[in-house]
Amino acid sequence: MMRYIGFSTGALARQDFRKALSMMADKPLQAVELSALRQEELLPLVGQLDELDLHQFRYIAFHAPSSLDESFEPVAVELLERVYSRGWPIIVHPDAMHSVARWAVLGESLCIENMDKRKDVGRTATALDEFFRILPNAGFCFDMGHARQVDPTMSEAALMLQRFRNRLRQLHVSEVGAQSKHDPLTLEAVLAFQRVSHLVPPDIPVILESRVEESGIREEIENALQSLSSGRVLAIAGD
Amino acid sequence: MGSGSSIPNSVAKMKLMSGAVANGSALLKMGALAAASNAAAGARRDLDDVLSAAIPRYTSQDTSLVVFGSLARGEWTSGSDLDWTYLIDGQANSDHLIIAQEIQRVLNEHRERFRPPGQTGTFGNMAFSHDIIHQIGGQHDTNRNTTQRILLLLESGAIGKDDGAYERVILGVINRYLVEDTHLLTRDSKSYRVPRFLLNDIVRFWRTMAVDFASKQRDRAGQGWGLRNAKLRMSRKLIFASGLLVCFSCNLDSELQAKISTEQSDIRLNLVRHIRDHVKLTPLEILASAMERYDIPETTATEFFSAYAEFLKVLDDSNSREALESLRAAESRTDPTFQRLTEISRAFERALDCIFFESKYFAPLTRKYGLF
Repeated sequence: MMRYIGFSTGALARQDFRKALSMMADKPLQAVELSALRQEELLPLVGQLDELDLHQFRYIAFHAPSSLDESFEPVAVELLERVYSRGWPIIVHPDAMHSVARWAVLGESLCIENMDKRKDVGRTATALDEFFRILPNAGFCFDMGHARQVDPTMSEAALMLQRFRNRLRQLHVSEVGAQSKHDPLTLEAVLAFQRVSHLVPPDIPVILESRVEESGIREEIENALQSLSSGRVLAIAGD
Repeated sequence: MGSGSSIPNSVAKMKLMSGAVANGSALLKMGALAAASNAAAGARRDLDDVLSAAIPRYTSQDTSLVVFGSLARGEWTSGSDLDWTYLIDGQANSDHLIIAQEIQRVLNEHRERFRPPGQTGTFGNMAFSHDIIHQIGGQHDTNRNTTQRILLLLESGAIGKDDGAYERVILGVINRYLVEDTHLLTRDSKSYRVPRFLLNDIVRFWRTMAVDFASKQRDRAGQGWGLRNAKLRMSRKLIFASGLLVCFSCNLDSELQAKISTEQSDIRLNLVRHIRDHVKLTPLEILASAMERYDIPETTATEFFSAYAEFLKVLDDSNSREALESLRAAESRTDPTFQRLTEISRAFERALDCIFFESKYFAPLTRKYGLF
């Protein structure tokens, strides 16, 4: 089965989803994540969804703002219901939700993402359990870079993938360094991701969050596919 | 503390059941154990309050304040000192020293509540994840590094909200031991082997503590001999026993064996998680859990926990503690407090012997891995 792979618009062109889509236009990408990472980006993006040319993509996801003012949360959920009506997965950071139960209206489209080490919540399987208890229909967006930053041994990553196997909808892939920025994959990240790649079914789409120039898109895709290649798990000393 | 009497029998207070331990958590409430555990929880809260008030956000995503010793073991008594380290797992930053010194200054201002750590310099300053994870064995694995690493696994806890660095380093250390182990599974791949690299380091640490006991006696001209001896017989031995049980559990735990997969990376990552989950417990909790799980006779369990509760009672009594602190080796055979402690430690050791040499689960593993 072919794995759908593509980029987050926010990674390719910050706050300019049209430019990001044009960068992807002639590339072998089947997936895209429309990103409204900042609160003020949400309304313009939702408002222009009908105008976007997305025919190239077999898989389309939507990334909700990574943080929201509490007063804006009801508006945001209402806007996201328009995305929900399209049947697209909606990626949400657990710490962006002030009233967690409110997000239940997004049903199975809602995908909760595991967080990086800067965040107080949602970094581990145990921490995510609490969100899934309140939102039992929600899916899981597994951010491999975040998981590796929280635990470089990838044992927590393995635990999340095992525990939320039935919720897993998509991956976020990128290097996440000490500054918590999403950068192009390094060998270190590729080797770490390979340790859990066998836990990711081949039909799970991959969204790259690596901040790359247009000229680096193809190489980043190759690296991402290599990191998910379960046939080349890093040899363990003595095995 | 009276002298010469037999160990006051919490056995009598606790309804003895025939057969094996039925409720491990009840053991943890015997005698002085519950009070010490509650006192430790209170001291940890106070410590965080004191530091947060003086140094808001004293830890970060790259740093954790880690405590060791009686506070981490949940055995806080009136004379306990505070062993701490500012653990760094992130970018090098000269400000880390300033923060560590600030922590030291604040704790000095509260030295009545939090007595400063001992003289060795192992605690009360910074520690770096790279040394702890990379330098296992070899010329650069100093006594201090070994101590920090093993205690990080067997008796430590993070203070305050940020425990990310602490968690990462512990997982990194466990992973490092397992990466170096040649085969994690038995030949038939039906069960995990006892992780020998980790076990050997725990055994080495126990022997190092025993050897250092003699070295400190020489360095300090016999000062503090009684208290160090008591700790070696009880709390240090407890750490060792709990470490052995964690290693043995890798081979014995049926839930872990059920997770065995054909994927090499799963095999290791599941074992990392198993060991991490176990070392999250205090040493006494590890013992109580093992006793319940592996059919240790109730009489043995009661003897073990009564003895340990009595040990904490001795430490919590200022007269007894001072007597031990000032005791020299030459007077040990006539000193009533020390004689009392000797009785307690013999009972403790009897129970340990029963667990490690008579249990149908642990005895074969002790025979196989304990000495040769």
